[in-house]
Amino acid sequence: MTILKKIKSFNWHGIRENKLYKRFASLKTSCVFLGILVGFYILGTIFPQGASFDEYATLSLGRWMSFVIFFDLLNIFNTPGFLIIAFLLFINLTICAIERFFMLWSQRKTVSEDLQFTPAFTFPLDINPHLESAEESVQEIFKKELRFKEKTCADPGLNIMEKGWSYRWLTWIYHAAIFLCFFGFFLTYLFSYEDEITLYPGEAAAIKPAAISRWNKSRGSKPQGLDFKLMLDEFITEYNQFPKLDYPADKLSRLAVGMGWKDPKYILKDESYFPKDWKSRLKVIKGKQTVLEKTIEVNDPLSYQGITFYQAAYKQNLKIQLDDNPILFETETGKDLIIPGIDGMLKFGTIKTGTLFKKDGSTEKIKPWTEATLIKKDGNGKTETEKLGKLEQDGGLYINDKRISLREFKEASILSYRYDPGVTLLWWSGIIALLAMSLRIFGAWHRIIYRIEEKDGAPYLLLKIKSKGLMADEEKLIKRVQRSLINMTDPINLDTPV
Amino acid sequence: MSNLETILSRDGYLLAIEIRLFWFVALVYGICLILYLIHLITKKAGPGRLGTNILWLAVITHAGLLILRTFEGQRAPFQTLYESLSWFAWSASVTYLYVEKRWKDIFLPGILVTALSMGACLYALLARSPAVEPLSPPLQSYWFEWHVALAFLSYAVFVSSCSIEIVYLVIKPSVKKGLKLEYGLNTGNLETFHRQSFRLALFGFPLLTFGIFSGAAWANDAWGRYWGWDPKETWSLITWTVFAIYLHSMSIPKWNRLPASIFNILGFICMLMTFIGVNWLARLLGIPSLHLYAM
Ligand code: HEM
Repeated sequence: MTILKKIKSFNWHGIRENKLYKRFASLKTSCVFLGILVGFYILGTIFPQGASFDEYATLSLGRWMSFVIFFDLLNIFNTPGFLIIAFLLFINLTICAIERFFMLWSQRKTVSEDLQFTPAFTFPLDINPHLESAEESVQEIFKKELRFKEKTCADPGLNIMEKGWSYRWLTWIYHAAIFLCFFGFFLTYLFSYEDEITLYPGEAAAIKPAAISRWNKSRGSKPQGLDFKLMLDEFITEYNQFPKLDYPADKLSRLAVGMGWKDPKYILKDESYFPKDWKSRLKVIKGKQTVLEKTIEVNDPLSYQGITFYQAAYKQNLKIQLDDNPILFETETGKDLIIPGIDGMLKFGTIKTGTLFKKDGSTEKIKPWTEATLIKKDGNGKTETEKLGKLEQDGGLYINDKRISLREFKEASILSYRYDPGVTLLWWSGIIALLAMSLRIFGAWHRIIYRIEEKDGAPYLLLKIKSKGLMADEEKLIKRVQRSLINMTDPINLDTPV
Repeated sequence: MSNLETILSRDGYLLAIEIRLFWFVALVYGICLILYLIHLITKKAGPGRLGTNILWLAVITHAGLLILRTFEGQRAPFQTLYESLSWFAWSASVTYLYVEKRWKDIFLPGILVTALSMGACLYALLARSPAVEPLSPPLQSYWFEWHVALAFLSYAVFVSSCSIEIVYLVIKPSVKKGLKLEYGLNTGNLETFHRQSFRLALFGFPLLTFGIFSGAAWANDAWGRYWGWDPKETWSLITWTVFAIYLHSMSIPKWNRLPASIFNILGFICMLMTFIGVNWLARLLGIPSLHLYAM
């Protein structure tokens, strides 16, 4: 209670009169901060973020190294300069949101016109000579026919009515939601961490992140293992049959296709395999029990205890046999393999396995195969690549008189995982921001301010209209008002609604 | 002929029709551009009016082209850059025709709009592959279609907004001096004409916001993080921020004239950077981008 009292007795007015506070409550200041942020963003796209200084130095443009190191330009979004400006914008947004909230709250019941009433339209109401009843009839028209709602007006002698969702509140709501987004980013910045895990089928693996959140790091904590295990039941790969398009690359030939002198053609080749899906059938195991099961794929992760597991990639290990040698050579797809007796290095492409979805709608179990290449270096260090062809499981390929065969292979699923408590807040505040912004911008809001005056014994309607939103059509509204007033032909009987 | 061969020859045939139609559409945009330029040089309304009529022909044919592509791919036609360029060109011209209906004999903004529509079509035809590709696993998301469709629609709307802004800035001094320019603009309609530019940017802003939001939600599902400061992401944020500055400056009394106009044009330039320039920048500087597959 005493705290509340203290808050209430605090000289808020003094703060609000403060020059710095006023500057922070201004829209111009937000534009300036947003402008400075744009500068940072641009720098962030000119200098490769996350690259090491050595990597950057090897790039052709790695000239201004000292400049890059001094301003930490390869990590610009974590520099104090960027974070301070983002924080100042956040303060700016906070102050604006609070200021505008109180302004809107104070006007929730009684609205007032900021400027003097200067009517834009005048309609004679001589069909009804009685000023009293004209006032009521006009109000009835606005209420019943045009569906306006009456507001209590702070200025005597004026009537204010509104229609549609208050654009001011909607503007406020989406700014407040943007404010919440900032919080979401902040939570991500402080508490998120991510790592990767490789799972082989049938293996229940403990999850021991090597990464740690900024918050825990600042407190000197060490990464903690998680209290559940993950098991990969099966890893599934699927391919689409993807016919290659025989279509020229050079511009003139393309023009020739356009003129009808050539035809594009789809051709099916052996290598017409296009990845359709990678799926991992996962089990979450806690103690000895399976607590969750899900087949994940790219774009469809698994979440458990705030950690989300994503299908990131996969790894294939294969065993190659040389002639009838009982000792097999182990390697991984995409890596170089040296086999004594073979001149050069062998390299194997992704092993195509799983299901092939064909163009005609049928499916086919793929007999596992890979593309083999031989890489040789000559005396000058120049590399030469020779495509050896398709190597099927248990099939063979000859290199001179030596035969290599693919004997075994196994696949592992690589999952990335992430803990990020900011996502939920960002998700909801993003949706609210979008909804409120769309309603404010695409919707329609009208305010009419009017007075009925008598001139030379006849009543006149003096009207001013304010509209917001792209759907708000002022001209249409005026026409409707005119039509409704003209239809009000008979002298008005107050007992019968118009 | 086997079933598979029949399918392939049918697909090849449809693609041939599509490509020829696409060239035709690009040509018609080019003709409109020439007519608008003749209008600029001769100051006569006739060529402008003809340009607009022919532009209707272009967008109707182009709508047919988009439907044909949808039929070919059995999915929404904005998933490769070839497709989104076509969608962008169509939406830019349709937006322009929609706003142009409100004016009488004002055709100058059509120059930039048709030049960009034609440019986008030619870029797709000359430099991109027209193959109807299956989607790689990261692209298979319900967010994808909406993300691309609405982001590119916002770009298209910003094109019209910027072309009005440029025409306004160029014409205003002469109109204010009372010179008779015969481009359909005079002291009576200049400001209402200019207001369309603000309304269009306002219309495009939530679409771009949705584009960024859906992109982040999608990246969160596919790559396991919603934001990675990838050049494409960052440029979309730059465009968004510059347009936010523009919209704000329209509420600031001293900024809502020339500065606001400049912000609008800058927003448009940033949009072009996001759309095309970032690919070029990433290659030039050797910056890796996860979005390169869409380039
Ligand atoms: C940081 C302090 C901010 C303040 C003081 C502020 C204030 C305002 C004000 C007073 C308006 C005019 C409202 C109206 O016409 O109804 C406005 C409009 C707008 N604001 Fe902000 N804003 C801030 C930050 C932002 C940010 C960070 C964004 C997002 C980029 C944003 C997006 C917009 C948009 C798009 C409009 C124009 C649409 C509309 O009129 O509703 N604002 N803002």
